[in-house]
Amino acid sequence: MSVLRVEAVEVRFGGVTALGGVDLQADAGRVTGLIGPNGAGKTTLFNVITGLQTPTAGRVYLDEQDVTHKKPHQRARLRVARTFQRLEVFGSLTTRENIMVAAEACQSWSNDNENPKVVTEEIIDRVGLRDVAESPVDALSTGLARLVELGRSMATRPRLLLLDEPGSGLDNNETDGLARILVELAGEGMAVLLVEHDMELVMRVCSEIFVLDFGRLIARGNPTEIQADEAVHAAYLGTEDDAKDTALEQVEEAVL
Amino acid sequence: MTTFLAYTIVGIATGCIYALTASGLVVTYTTSGIFNFAHGAIGMVMAFTFWELTVKDGWPQWLALIVVLGLFAPLLGYLIDRLLMRNLHGASTSTQIVMTLGLLLLLIGVATVRWNPGEARVLPEFFIGHHIRLFTINVTYHQLTMIAVAVLVAAFLRLLFTRTQIGIAMRAVVDDPELASLTGADPDRVRAVSWALGASLAGLAGILLAPLVSLDIILLTLLVINGYAAAMVGRLKSLPLTFVGGLALGLAETYAIWKLPTGLLNKIRPSLPIIFLYLVLLVLPQAKLRAGRAVSLRRPPRVAGLGESIIGGVALVGVAALIAPHMSRSDLTLAGQGMVFALIMLSLVLLTGYAGQTSLAQMTFVGIGAFAMGKYFGGASLLGILLAAVLAGAIGAVAALPALRLQGLYLALSTLAFAEAMSTMFFKNAAVFGYGGRLAVGRPSVLGVSFHGDHAYFLLITGVFALAGIGVLALRRGKFGRKLVAMKDSPAACATLGIDLTFTKLAVFALSASLAGVAGVFFGGLRGQVGPNDFEMLQSLVLLLLVTISGISSVTGALMGGLTFGLIPRLQQTFKSVRSLTYIGPGLGILGVGRNPYGYTSEFAPLGARIRRRFGRGAEPPAGPAGDGSAASANLEEVDDLVGVAG
Ligand SMILES: Nc1ncnc2c1ncn2[C@@H]1O[C@H](COP(=O)(O)OP(=O)(O)OP(=O)(O)O)[C@@H](O)[C@H]1O
Ligand SMILES: [Mg+2]
Repeated sequence: MSVLRVEAVEVRFGGVTALGGVDLQADAGRVTGLIGPNGAGKTTLFNVITGLQTPTAGRVYLDEQDVTHKKPHQRARLRVARTFQRLEVFGSLTTRENIMVAAEACQSWSNDNENPKVVTEEIIDRVGLRDVAESPVDALSTGLARLVELGRSMATRPRLLLLDEPGSGLDNNETDGLARILVELAGEGMAVLLVEHDMELVMRVCSEIFVLDFGRLIARGNPTEIQADEAVHAAYLGTEDDAKDTALEQVEEAVL
Repeated sequence: MTTFLAYTIVGIATGCIYALTASGLVVTYTTSGIFNFAHGAIGMVMAFTFWELTVKDGWPQWLALIVVLGLFAPLLGYLIDRLLMRNLHGASTSTQIVMTLGLLLLLIGVATVRWNPGEARVLPEFFIGHHIRLFTINVTYHQLTMIAVAVLVAAFLRLLFTRTQIGIAMRAVVDDPELASLTGADPDRVRAVSWALGASLAGLAGILLAPLVSLDIILLTLLVINGYAAAMVGRLKSLPLTFVGGLALGLAETYAIWKLPTGLLNKIRPSLPIIFLYLVLLVLPQAKLRAGRAVSLRRPPRVAGLGESIIGGVALVGVAALIAPHMSRSDLTLAGQGMVFALIMLSLVLLTGYAGQTSLAQMTFVGIGAFAMGKYFGGASLLGILLAAVLAGAIGAVAALPALRLQGLYLALSTLAFAEAMSTMFFKNAAVFGYGGRLAVGRPSVLGVSFHGDHAYFLLITGVFALAGIGVLALRRGKFGRKLVAMKDSPAACATLGIDLTFTKLAVFALSASLAGVAGVFFGGLRGQVGPNDFEMLQSLVLLLLVTISGISSVTGALMGGLTFGLIPRLQQTFKSVRSLTYIGPGLGILGVGRNPYGYTSEFAPLGARIRRRFGRGAEPPAGPAGDGSAASANLEEVDDLVGVAG
């Protein structure tokens, strides 16, 4: 039984079809990858799953329960958590407070008997934010702020964790740390759905990968299969996106 | 039947005016995403300008119309966009709100300087003296003109938005400026056009309305509130629905005049648009949460710990006790008033500074507090303070309830309407303060100590402020406070953590209203009595602006803001020639807030840090990586987004 099942989800923005009938699932105990070129619809799919975007058609099931019409906070209480590509941190709170808000929220709507303070400190250590625990998050670098979002999402003890490009802005060391945490979380039985442009990271941690292009699923398989897939290569190479990606890399180098 | 038809036509005429007023609001909001609270003020200024050109300088009406609506109004709209609004895109809703409120006060202030409210002015109706008789009632040419103008405007806007390139771009800009720029339109230019157009529509409505009500600065400015309900029917975005809303409102009002008994009618007529507004709020669908938060490059003020806040509070009372004996009676009253205002502003720190919600009715709650104390306890009992808190909180909760499901802007709009309704229905009602009368509010004795003397009362208020400040800070450091700030920073993230924000919003609004109600007790006690004109909505705006200028996220900001407000009467005495300093000052001061949303007191943060280091109180948290690092990555993200959209 999959923790998450998405069935024929379609989202249109005016004339743009962001998602054109996507099926996907994520299972407990492993990291599932969701990749695709810019604008493929990955973030939109996350928004549909968490209830921030109403799909024009299709259904979303959590543990085989239909949640398509549930509000975002109701879905969260079914133990779904996420991070955001465009950061949604609580910028004027400190790192510790960010995680604490989540832990306290979880305590208020669940039957867990964990002490939010204890949960918070445990997560701060686990994600490696001890040094910046007292800093307001708006003062942190993007990479660290992403880790804060990761820690915050872990604090609600999710069964399904959606991560939208958690690796961007991280240095090599931090990326290694992230990979380790993801594998650990999956090892504890969590279902992790990972959107990421860092292919090395994706291939390293995912046991199954879904590939989106222009809102459609073009491939699905394990890392070896995906790396060998013609359609995937075409999607990444055949469009101008590749040129843009290199341009972006150059910009990044220039800025940093 | 014939009477019905006649009333229907009158209702349509009234509805057309509502629709006209509202359509201008909608045009700017659709395109810029900024709700222009100064819309009515622009209309007011244009109506006065029109009066000056036609009545005073004797220009022909057609020429004045062309100059005012074709030149002055668009120019003003363009300047507002260029100088004030351009930097506000992406700012938080509460910052956007205070900016246009600042503009509103500034325009009122400037108009007061230019057109002395002491003189009577009359703007005649168009085609004065002409009317047609429809069944049993007269319909003036002016009313017919209004209908014709509304129809023309509706047709013009429809064509503009569906047939012209700029119009289509205008609809696209607010949702996605980058996307719109791909259609070849320059978002900056599109926004400028929409502000110019919005200002012209405001002017048109103002010129048509002024002859019907009167050429009064405040009245004309606030008349636009009646159009809010109409704009909300269209969810601030749809013009056709806005016109439908305007007509429905006009018809409902006219039928009420026709059918309701006069006694009841006179009571509720002024608040019909507001009743309508609440009904609309109730049926509007719940707001969709959207990701996308306002990012500030400034750091928020540090939150003082318990020890620090107690030291601060004791120090404040100590200083007050030291200087009070050397102050004259009038100085004590002035300083006491500053402290009362600081207390009211503290309620805004809680609501706006922490939770990011905006109330434009804080003085109303102050009034309710003063009323509760004066009416039921004469002012001398401590129970009165409790009643003030409970009553203000309860009324606040009821007033806010319908807007809570919706975005923050709707809460601001409905509190504005609520404040106006309370002012006309409650405070000016003879049953409340007695006919044209004043209600005495006394000063209490606490535990056998009398606080009747000016000196003692000033210290009491200072003590109450210090306690409230310590309390507010304690709240901020706790679970509830964290949740409030989280709600302000990202409602979308809160929802994905399973937090239902409706109750949190309601709780903080009621709490803030309660605090304002308590402040009202001291407001009344300080003056000895309160009257119907003490709790005007405009005062609430001035208050909100002043605390925003000094720093709405901190207790220090509230203290400084309150003392500044207390000083304004003194300043006004010195600068007699500048009428309405109360409006011009905050209106100008708010312009700096676009630069630093945490207000000027936050600029002293480094000083505070140095003092704390000197006294070894709490090591500074290790600073994150240098500021330029995160700025650079912010830039990167923008590039990222642009590429994403193009791809
Ligand atoms: N609110 C919106 N309104 C209109 N179009 C939108 C909206 N959100 C997304 N889109 C469009 O939907 C498509 C999918 O966008 P989405 O952000 O889901 O892609 P993505 O796969 O996450 O891309 P990236 O890798 O750049 O993050 C894009 O064409 C985008 O422009
Ligand atoms: Mg994305």
